[in-house]
Amino acid sequence: MDFTLFFPLLLNGLIVGALYGVVAMSFVLIYKASQVVNFAQGEFLLVGAWVCWWLLTTWPIPFWAGFLVTMAFMTLFGIILQVVVLRPLIGEPVISVIMATVGLSIFFQALMKWIFGVFAKPFPPIFEAERIDVMGLQVQPVYLLSLAVSLFIMFGFWWFFTFSKHGLAMRATAFDQQVAQSLGVSVPKVFAMSWAISAVVSSVAGVVVGVVNGVSSALSFYGIKVFPAVILGGLDSIVGAVLGGLIVGVLENLAQWVDSEFLHWGNMTQIAPFYALVLILLIKPYGLLGTKNIERV
Amino acid sequence: MRPAGDYRTTYAADMTVFPTRNSRLAMLAGIALACAAPLAFGRYELGLMINIGFLGIAALGLNILVGFTGQISIGHAAFFGFGAFLSAWLHETLHVPVILCIPLAGLGTAVVGLVFGLPAARLKGLYLAIATLAAQFILEDFFARARWFTGGVAGRMTESVTVAGFSFDREETYFYIVLAFVVVMFFAASNLMRTRDGRALVAVRDHYLSAEVMGINLAYYRTLSFAISSFYAGIGGALYAHYLLFVSVEAFNILFSIQFLGMVIIGGLGSVMGSLMGAAFMVLLPEVVQALADQLAGGSIDRAIKLGANISFLREMAVGAAIILFLVFEPNGLAHRWRLIKAYWKLYPYSH
Amino acid sequence: MKKTFLAALAALFAMPALAQPIPVGHLMDNSGATSDVGLPYGQGVQDTLSWVNSTRRGVAGRPINVLGFDYGYAAPRAVSQYQAWSRDRVVAIQGWGTADTEALIRFVTRDRIPYISGSYSGALTDPTGRARPGVEAAPFNFFYGPSYSDALRGMLQWAKTDWDRSGRTGRPKYVHMGANHPYPNSPKEAGETMARELGFGVLPAIQFALTPGDYTAQCLTLRNQGANYAYLGNTAGSNLSVLRSCQTAGVQVQFMGNVWGMDENAMKAAGTAANGVVFPVRTGAVWGQPVPGMETAQAISRTTDANAYRTVHYLAGMCAAMLMVEAMETAAANGGAISGERIRDGFYARRDWVPAGFAGLCNPSTFTAEDHRGTMRVALYRAVVTGNTSQGTVGELMANGTMKLEPVTVVELERRRDWQGW
Repeated sequence: MDFTLFFPLLLNGLIVGALYGVVAMSFVLIYKASQVVNFAQGEFLLVGAWVCWWLLTTWPIPFWAGFLVTMAFMTLFGIILQVVVLRPLIGEPVISVIMATVGLSIFFQALMKWIFGVFAKPFPPIFEAERIDVMGLQVQPVYLLSLAVSLFIMFGFWWFFTFSKHGLAMRATAFDQQVAQSLGVSVPKVFAMSWAISAVVSSVAGVVVGVVNGVSSALSFYGIKVFPAVILGGLDSIVGAVLGGLIVGVLENLAQWVDSEFLHWGNMTQIAPFYALVLILLIKPYGLLGTKNIERV
Repeated sequence: MRPAGDYRTTYAADMTVFPTRNSRLAMLAGIALACAAPLAFGRYELGLMINIGFLGIAALGLNILVGFTGQISIGHAAFFGFGAFLSAWLHETLHVPVILCIPLAGLGTAVVGLVFGLPAARLKGLYLAIATLAAQFILEDFFARARWFTGGVAGRMTESVTVAGFSFDREETYFYIVLAFVVVMFFAASNLMRTRDGRALVAVRDHYLSAEVMGINLAYYRTLSFAISSFYAGIGGALYAHYLLFVSVEAFNILFSIQFLGMVIIGGLGSVMGSLMGAAFMVLLPEVVQALADQLAGGSIDRAIKLGANISFLREMAVGAAIILFLVFEPNGLAHRWRLIKAYWKLYPYSH
Repeated sequence: MKKTFLAALAALFAMPALAQPIPVGHLMDNSGATSDVGLPYGQGVQDTLSWVNSTRRGVAGRPINVLGFDYGYAAPRAVSQYQAWSRDRVVAIQGWGTADTEALIRFVTRDRIPYISGSYSGALTDPTGRARPGVEAAPFNFFYGPSYSDALRGMLQWAKTDWDRSGRTGRPKYVHMGANHPYPNSPKEAGETMARELGFGVLPAIQFALTPGDYTAQCLTLRNQGANYAYLGNTAGSNLSVLRSCQTAGVQVQFMGNVWGMDENAMKAAGTAANGVVFPVRTGAVWGQPVPGMETAQAISRTTDANAYRTVHYLAGMCAAMLMVEAMETAAANGGAISGERIRDGFYARRDWVPAGFAGLCNPSTFTAEDHRGTMRVALYRAVVTGNTSQGTVGELMANGTMKLEPVTVVELERRRDWQGW
């Protein structure tokens, strides 16, 4: 058994997993606040990355400025989506809302391909250093930045939900909309806010992946990857989402290791998280950290 | 739409498939008209109708699962694909006549559906939806690996239906095969809803806790609805395989699954005929977009946005937008709109 | 608009018998997994055919009616579109991918429609079905250039000399990389067999999808295996993700692309990560080089864009389209009917065939009724990227030397009978 490959892969899994965790977290945020399963999460990454790419390649502005403009744009984007598409669907069955987000996903994927083409496009170089050595694994500096940003976002989420007024309002809405409303929480505002935050946080991940691999429609695949992550963690647990993301990242890379060392089947990287998902659901139907619904008649 | 004052006095009358004599006549006339279609239409139109037929059968299966039992499945295309591969495999390896392969493929797919439906006994709502998403990817991966069964990633060729030396290999003839299956499958689904099992499914959808209290075995009916739904998907897939004469894993991706969901929602959740309308909408929409683009070809709009090279993006966007618009403006689907139109003419001119 | 309509109307009345258009199918991938290279190739085919219509009045006075369809690289959609075309009685088809071309072999053989594919799979080279057991006859399939397998055989021969010349000791190790898909799989067996014959150590193949993504895990595996030569079986878009990931992970491997695996667009997108990749180029020159055929190529290119830089795939698309056009002209010569069978015979009519006006650009091809390997010559180029590629267009970067395509060698493979069909 060869472990020289094992540790770099594990480390790579944790780095990629942290990004999955960020996307999963923003997915859970929407679900917690408005009970919507967002199939268009991957398109948030896609739109954010393309907008940032367009800003940086069209105008002579520094990276941080383009990044801030992108975040402002994504805030608006999230709010508009919620108000125009999701708000009329409040009170419709779950399946309708799911389908609406699926429709959004199809629409924006095609639109982005139309506007920006089908080639993967590289970001202009942002860091001086080409790569940094982390315990024997060469990684791009932006990955380390992403790790820092992820940790920062995770901490921000924790603070937001524990101490800030809006965060508490969001938790109250998630717990019981009617009670929250009668206590003076504006539920539509909370919904819009959750979509805006989710869009912004996802686009951060989108930009990071874009800088590393180039921007292409493949970014939207993160929206599918996020399902094993959130289900592993439990649909309504923010901590679970981060954990789930890390597990999926590590699992993918371990599957690659097992495959290259022993099996030689190929494609295990892509499919392993889904096998794990089914297994976990058979044992714990509400995920690892999800709340079990107690139903009364 | 029943006229006022028509009170039923027996249970039999209440459970009839056709509420009035006219609806039965309309049904028969509709089938007779459909039989005459090959005389009136060209091969292109017939090809579209065949597509609507087998997609409609599969969509009906999904509607039984989603619309009647209230369970969400995002893996329907994988079951459709399994039916297609199974039928092709049965014919090629076991030399079963194609006409028998089609129902056998339905049965085989039902068994697979049963296996993948087992988690449904335990999972609810979104968790189930995402478990079926996993089933989609796992089955897709299986199709790509199992060379003995599917021909691997290269796909598998199939034969067309041959009965007693007569080959149904043209649109004009294959149309009748599909039509026969459509009539049988849709009639069976309408009948299903009149049985104890069918009503149990609806009870599970409406309030599963109450249903359980009333003595309905939840686990049994949830798994059953998966099996029935897969049976329909398998039949639809087999009809697809012997029409296209080529089956490949690439067709049965997640986007196709989503299109099935789109058909069910656009047609109308919980409506048998709505499934067919939804399938017709999904088949015709890209054709209409294409026709519009052809109209614009060469003009200034075409030059400005390069329609020719981007037509497939436009088609995809139209599908996405159609789904959203239907959900916002017509949440009950085409079947509901159809009922409103019928009611309007029935009561015309005193519609209030 | 009105003017062209009137002109068309006038033409219609002038030669009512001759003006009947020739229907030709054109299957493209403008939106699917291989659209990164499918788009320029399809554009090349399309521009060439419309140029033939406008400057040469089509074939034998009849315009070519090109029926285009974007199938998104999904074989089943290609098959259903083929069936629609066979109803429209197309006489020939310009095709694309390996999965769909191989699926259609039986159909085009039955309907006798010549099929010029963008797939160069070795399985399409045997018109008789006798060369290799298990490979069916493909008497109506043609393509321009060396087959995937032959190109890989040529690259391995180069790799062998490269290894010997470098003075390194021990056995070089070869690994096949690509998606689990008919197209990357097509030359896998041929390449591994050839590598063993040449004394390479053959490592277990590494899979990566046809879409761009993060392939760090694959690169770490590659490094850990200690591979020296790696074949990239996918198209440029996903190959460049591997190149970027491997550059970051510090993997030192000589990458060898397939004909669709590298081009100028990918060099720009990958930046210095693409530096050093060796790949076969099917044409005698790349865009802008002073060969006689380049003027014709520029005239064709101007029909849609006056000052575009055209990649290697665009040029290959032109040659493929011109082979079909000249085969049709042969079929129409002496008042013959332009039918599928006669077009196929048109492909057999010449030896060392270079379409008129394309000298130096299109490489000579020879097709016989026994052997559809058009050429056994594999011209290898190296992608050279020396600086930052994120600013400027492909044309500018090629002009100022930031990106270069450097000829490496030309391998003339022996036309071995036991290499046909795979």
